Formats: sequence, structure tokens, C-alpha cells
Amino acid sequence: MIITLKDARITRDSWSLTAAGTFDQGIHLISGDVGSGKSTLALVMAGLFPVSGGCIVKEGISSCMLSLQFPELHITGRTIAEECASWGTRPEDILVTTGLTGREETSPFYLSRGELKRFHLACILAKDYDLLLLDEPFSSLDCEEKARLCSTLERRSRGITILFTHEQDILPRVVRVWEIYDGRLTDCGRPPDAFRHWHHLPVSVRKLIALGSVPDNISRQDLREAACRIQG
Amino acid sequence: MQDPRIRIAASAILSVTAFISVPGAAFAFLWWLVFTPGITLIQKNRLVLPLVLMTGFFSLVLELFGGNGLSYFIRMSVIILVGMWLYSEQRPGEFLDTGVWLFGDRAGFDLGLVAEMGMQSLSCIIADFERVLLAARVKGMRWGIHSLIPVGLILVHGALARAEESAELLAIRGYRSGGVWNPVFITKPWDGVAGLAAVCAGIFAVLPVSEFFILYR
Repeated sequence: MIITLKDARITRDSWSLTAAGTFDQGIHLISGDVGSGKSTLALVMAGLFPVSGGCIVKEGISSCMLSLQFPELHITGRTIAEECASWGTRPEDILVTTGLTGREETSPFYLSRGELKRFHLACILAKDYDLLLLDEPFSSLDCEEKARLCSTLERRSRGITILFTHEQDILPRVVRVWEIYDGRLTDCGRPPDAFRHWHHLPVSVRKLIALGSVPDNISRQDLREAACRIQG
Repeated sequence: MQDPRIRIAASAILSVTAFISVPGAAFAFLWWLVFTPGITLIQKNRLVLPLVLMTGFFSLVLELFGGNGLSYFIRMSVIILVGMWLYSEQRPGEFLDTGVWLFGDRAGFDLGLVAEMGMQSLSCIIADFERVLLAARVKGMRWGIHSLIPVGLILVHGALARAEESAELLAIRGYRSGGVWNPVFITKPWDGVAGLAAVCAGIFAVLPVSEFFILYR
């Protein structure tokens, strides 16, 4: 199960991005500045935006899902129960996990941005997609929910998960780090080697390295362990 | 066309000209062919054809119920083309420039600000609409009449949420009325020619043809 970008060129008016690399199973993190093209790249990898050059090859991928940054754009149901059904999930399961029990008949538009994001992610993560593309999945979530999302993603036993985010604090353990820099998608490598080339290296990781302790990965657990090594 | 004052004035004149009569619409369309990118504009803006088709539907209904549907269709289609040209040429800040230049720092600033926010909202709605279509594709849903209500809800909800945020932001920043703005305009000779041609089109549409052909009298 892999997705390969073969010098895929994406252009939009005067803006352009070139992407090359192979994504295999596990969680991949794509970081980049706001406006660098993360969302557009997500659309391209989902097959929803054309490439102007090169190509994208998907092998062994039979199901793909893209979560857009703004969950309200996905709404098609009049009620929360209908919305669950539109994702092919059982409302009773989703409502329990999201703490929305008893609000089946509420319009999704009455949920706060955070509640809606949590609900939307629960609907998506209830199914097992071969390729899961999450555009800014941590936006609108509080620290507790971000950590819960990281645990859920880490529990995905199969498939390719690609996170497009500029989140710096709470991240899951990843197999590979990528970044969009200077109009190009760059493969920074596997953590911790990736930390040497990563322009968007999280501040906490940077500080730990400065103190002489390199974390194994970027999850909270890894950072905590690295911090303990300094003290101990 | 660089100068927004001439562009807005020309659009207003041409819209009225096209609305008055079919010959007026013909003059406005001729102007549109000469002074705008024409067909390229239609190819770039995906909203033109749906809007013309929607106008066609209402024109057909009008025609079937005894009204002059064909005339309505021709006139409204030209107005849509002129409107799309104005929209595609508009750059951020130009309504503020024009508003302040016309009515000063108080009423002009407020009017310009409202127009700028309206344009921004319109562009956000278009972007949202494109994303909603993509999201529906991801869900494996087919686009149809049944999609109109949920899509409409998303767009209206998004526009209202953004309007509320903008209002709060303006209030937090202490905005009450008016503001300081220095309008800057670049006027090319061709802008003047186009503006004059729009005025001529308006005059031709309003005056009876016999006014120009003395021998005919």
C-alpha cells in the first residue's frame, strides 16, 4: 500500500508546488507555513485537484478519505443522526464517543466549532480507509482532544495516514516527516534523523536538542522521555 | 481597465443601458466585446453560464405566461456579463478608494468598507462552494436538486459566521464610523476611451433613433 508522487507539479495562478516522494504505511506529517500549499496538496493526493505535470501513482489503495480543515463544509445531513448516516456510521456509536448523546435531532450547525470538529473526525475515524488525508486535524480542538486524536491515529493498525498541519505542540508518533519549503515538498526523513533538516521543527523538540537530549519521535511521550533524560 | 472609478461608472451605465431596452442591451454587449477580455472572461469564471442558464429558465417561464421572456433574457444576460467583468477586474481596496474619493472619509469610507466586505464575502462563498462540492465527492454523494438545501445552509451559515466575526473585530478595534484612507488611482488613456464609449452607449439607448437621422423625419 503506497502512494508515490512522481515530480507532481501543482499550479494555481502564479503559485506552484513540486512534490516527489513515496508514502508507505504509517503516519506521515507534512508541515509548512500558512499558504504554502498543504491543503492543495491534500486535494491533489485525494484526486480532487489536477496536477499540471508529473503524476501520482497509488498502489494497493482501494479507499481514500480526505478531511477538510473546516468540518462544516462536509455537512450534508439536517440532523446529527443524518450526518452520521451520511458517513456510513451508526449514530449511537459516534454520539457516545463524542459526548453528544441525546442530541441526535440537533442540527450540526448548532454545534460549536470544536464539537463539530470532534464529531466530524469521529465519523471519519470510525471507518478504516487505506489512505487517510487529514488537513489541519488539530485545529479547533483543545489539548485533551488533540491528545485523544493522536492516540486514535496511533492505534490505526493499517493504511497510510497523512497529516497536513502546522500544529507544533501535540503530535502523534510519525514514521516520516515532510515539509513544504520554498515551493517544494521535501522528505526530511524518519525521526529523529529528520530533526536535522526540518525547518518547521517544533519549538519543544528544538529546546530539548539544545539541552543535549534528542527525542526519538515527536509525540508527547517521546518528548517527556527526552526531558526525563536531561533531569536524570 | 485600471481606474476603478471609470470601471464602476461604466458598469452602472451599461447595466442601466442594457436593462432599458434590447437595443440598449445590444450596445452594451458591443461595448463588452470591444473593451473586455470577452470569451476568455466566460471561460475563466464558472459562474457565468449557470447564471445565464438560470436567467434562461425564468425567461422561459415569463414567456410561457405571456410576458416578453426573450427580451428579458437578452437584457439580463448582458447585465450578467457586465457584472462578471466588473467582479473579475475588481482588486481589494478599490471600493474604499472610490467611496472615499466620492463621498469623503465618513460616508464614503463606510460605503467603501461595506462594499469591500461584500466582495470579500462573495469570494469566500465561491471558495466555500467549491470546497463543498469536493467534500460531497469525498463522501460519494451525487450533486442534484436535493443538495441545494444543505449546500445553501452551509454557505449562508458560513457567511453569517464570518459577518459576525468581522463585526466583532471592528467593534473591538473601536470602529464607529468613518476612517482615514488615501485613495490612489492609475488612469490609462484606454480607460477614458472605454468610459466615453459606455456613456455613448447609454445615450444611444435612451435617445430615439430618429434624433440621429434627420432625413428620416
